[in-house]
Amino acid sequence: MATDFWASSHYKRWIVDRATLRQARADDLLYVDDPEYLDFLAIFFANVISKLGKKLLLRQRVIATATVFFRRFYLKNSYCETDPFIVIAACCYVAAKAEESPAHIKNVVTEARSLFSSENYGIKHFPSDNSKLAEMEFYLVDDLECDLTIFHPYRTLMTLCRKEGTSDDDDAEAGELGVGIESGPRYWGNGDGQLELQEGALQMAWFIINDTYRSELCLLYPPHLIAIAAIYLTLVLHVPTRATIQAQSQAEPETPTLQPRRRSSRQASNASAPSNINQKKSNQDIIGFFAELNVSMPLIATIAQEIISLYALWDRYKEDGNVETAKNSFPAQTASPYTPGTGSKRTLSGTSRSGSLNSGSGGETPIEGGEDNEDNVVTPAILMALLMKMKENRAADVAHPASGRPVAVNKMLERTQLSG
Amino acid sequence: MDAVEKANSERQKKWTKDQKVGEGTYAVVYRGREVSTGRKVAIKKIKVSQFKDGLDMSAIREVKYLRELQHQNVIELLDVFSSKTNLNLVLEFLDTDLEMIIKDRTLVFLPADIKSWMAMTFRGLEYCHRNFILHRDLKPNNLLVASDGQLKLADFGLARDFADPGYKMTCQVITRWYRPPELLFGSRYYSAAVDIWSVGCIFAELMLRTPYLPGESDMDQLKTTFRALGTPTEEEWPGHTKLPDYVPVGQFPKTPLRDLFTAASADTLNLLSKCLVYEPRKRIGAKEALNHPYFFALPNPSHPSKLPKSSNMASTRALEEVDGNVDQNVAGPAVKAAAPNRLKRKLNSPGDELASRSIARRLDFSQPKQP
Repeated sequence: MATDFWASSHYKRWIVDRATLRQARADDLLYVDDPEYLDFLAIFFANVISKLGKKLLLRQRVIATATVFFRRFYLKNSYCETDPFIVIAACCYVAAKAEESPAHIKNVVTEARSLFSSENYGIKHFPSDNSKLAEMEFYLVDDLECDLTIFHPYRTLMTLCRKEGTSDDDDAEAGELGVGIESGPRYWGNGDGQLELQEGALQMAWFIINDTYRSELCLLYPPHLIAIAAIYLTLVLHVPTRATIQAQSQAEPETPTLQPRRRSSRQASNASAPSNINQKKSNQDIIGFFAELNVSMPLIATIAQEIISLYALWDRYKEDGNVETAKNSFPAQTASPYTPGTGSKRTLSGTSRSGSLNSGSGGETPIEGGEDNEDNVVTPAILMALLMKMKENRAADVAHPASGRPVAVNKMLERTQLSG
Repeated sequence: MDAVEKANSERQKKWTKDQKVGEGTYAVVYRGREVSTGRKVAIKKIKVSQFKDGLDMSAIREVKYLRELQHQNVIELLDVFSSKTNLNLVLEFLDTDLEMIIKDRTLVFLPADIKSWMAMTFRGLEYCHRNFILHRDLKPNNLLVASDGQLKLADFGLARDFADPGYKMTCQVITRWYRPPELLFGSRYYSAAVDIWSVGCIFAELMLRTPYLPGESDMDQLKTTFRALGTPTEEEWPGHTKLPDYVPVGQFPKTPLRDLFTAASADTLNLLSKCLVYEPRKRIGAKEALNHPYFFALPNPSHPSKLPKSSNMASTRALEEVDGNVDQNVAGPAVKAAAPNRLKRKLNSPGDELASRSIARRLDFSQPKQP
């Protein structure tokens, strides 16, 4: 189910508003001092899923699917009443099956056990028995309402953009797919075909999309908008690309630099006429390309803003350096990413689009914003302790509720007991 | 009870289970009703109570695709609810399947009837392919027919999205008689064309009233195919000798389709031959097929309500029928559980047609999928 997003369960049932998200976290909020910790948990859990997925050799898209499953599950459940780690294992297990790259249940249990017992998490009690994971799988699929088809921004990215210097047609792909399938007419863009990005820029956009799964954006916005926001941020944050765009807009004095998005389509097509043969980039009217996408630009700006907020938050979160993110390749900065960076530029060293193998950032520490100080830093250890505390307090509250009636602590357990 | 469970139990109350009508490796099928309207439904209960090895891959696939697909010619998943530790799929109730109809010797098919069934099959398939889903198990038995005559694609237990280019898929799919030669030769990169071949075989079967290419083993399937359509030449199908499991199976001459299908019109044979082209890339697509002159020539397709159907739908013998026909000893990710078959089989089976069904009893439909 790759084409009709508007008819999909993803669009019809699983794009929610902020109020719903708040409601979903209402129980958890009772047990944390600062609501911000819940956002850190969102980053933390996504990192755990990503790590487990990589141990299971899952592709990035499968990991993304597992993350969406996790977020959807916690629309209906709370962290303090469930064991997020078994949920994570089940999400990876179901996502692998739903994306046609099944992993054996035994394998998932083994990898999950070894990862979760590592010093970062210190979970010694993860069940070694298949049946616990299989049971969780059932609850997960049930709470997902069997909606297992997930749309991701990656496909939009690869549809809208291509690597500089590659050809526009998809001969190779068409050959693989055979007859009977057409990509159909293209309703987007200015008719000039895909946006050509430098390899590093395309990769940065891909990594920014990876990073969006650290937040709840995938529940709030349709994936194609997230993809466009990621492309937009790339144009701003990828230094060589930005330099090209700036050079381009300065070369065209008739276009006001301050209001680039208000250009009419006529001007856009003028601008796309080849003005400089040596500079390939300038043949392309990037801003015109954006302007003619049939999407709400204010909405794209909102999403871009949310992605930036995520990075701001993430800067205060410290995990071992293995977590790769587009963040590592942003120009060094002092305040906001919008401030033109004058310091050293970091470029991505990896080449894989999946971003799963070439993190290239092993030794690099994430760039710290100027406002950082040591007290503010959040680490997995702090979050693990927080989770434990939330669970304990919840258990205590449940055992002695205001109503005086004890309630089962673990909803899963309760359901299993009900069933006999 | 929290909000989630409440919603679920409300959904559960919408449906009642009547009698059990079939059982497979991963599901039990019940006949049921919608409480408010009395509408008949089929309820497929997925067994997960033992929690041993997780949900069956077929169950995952079926649920994944049926939740998204909505088309007149694709079986409708009406609802999903959980009861205790079971997942229940509520499917629309369908009276019979095309296999039953083909085997019912009391029925006479007009060319217009065949055209109508083919049109509905291609419409359903075009919808799937348009959404980048391969069915991978098309056969008369999986084409269900509703009481109003509408034909619906069912059993998505082997379905999947088109793989991204460069990702392998298993070639152990599609029931043998309907399996295209590229899969028999072990091709791991294939496309929508595999489903088209199956439709071609079904098309031929509708005219012949007996399976067109009934191979007895995978090897024999190739032989049977080549005997009917001629051994492909390198020119006809470039590169086929390089496929992983390629084996030469002897030289058979090409015989014109006309020799076997004596009564068929030229348009009919033209469309049939385009479905059965060896080179997958040259095989006709579902959309293209729908625009084929065959569908625009006279006679016009019969209205679904006017199509022939078995007179005796109600059956109490459904279970025995199923048991004679289904191999239970199948396992593995690429293997379809028996349950989807049963779902359809229980829904129909004119009990008085046993004699004419003896052919079907000899067949082991699930075997081709064994690795």
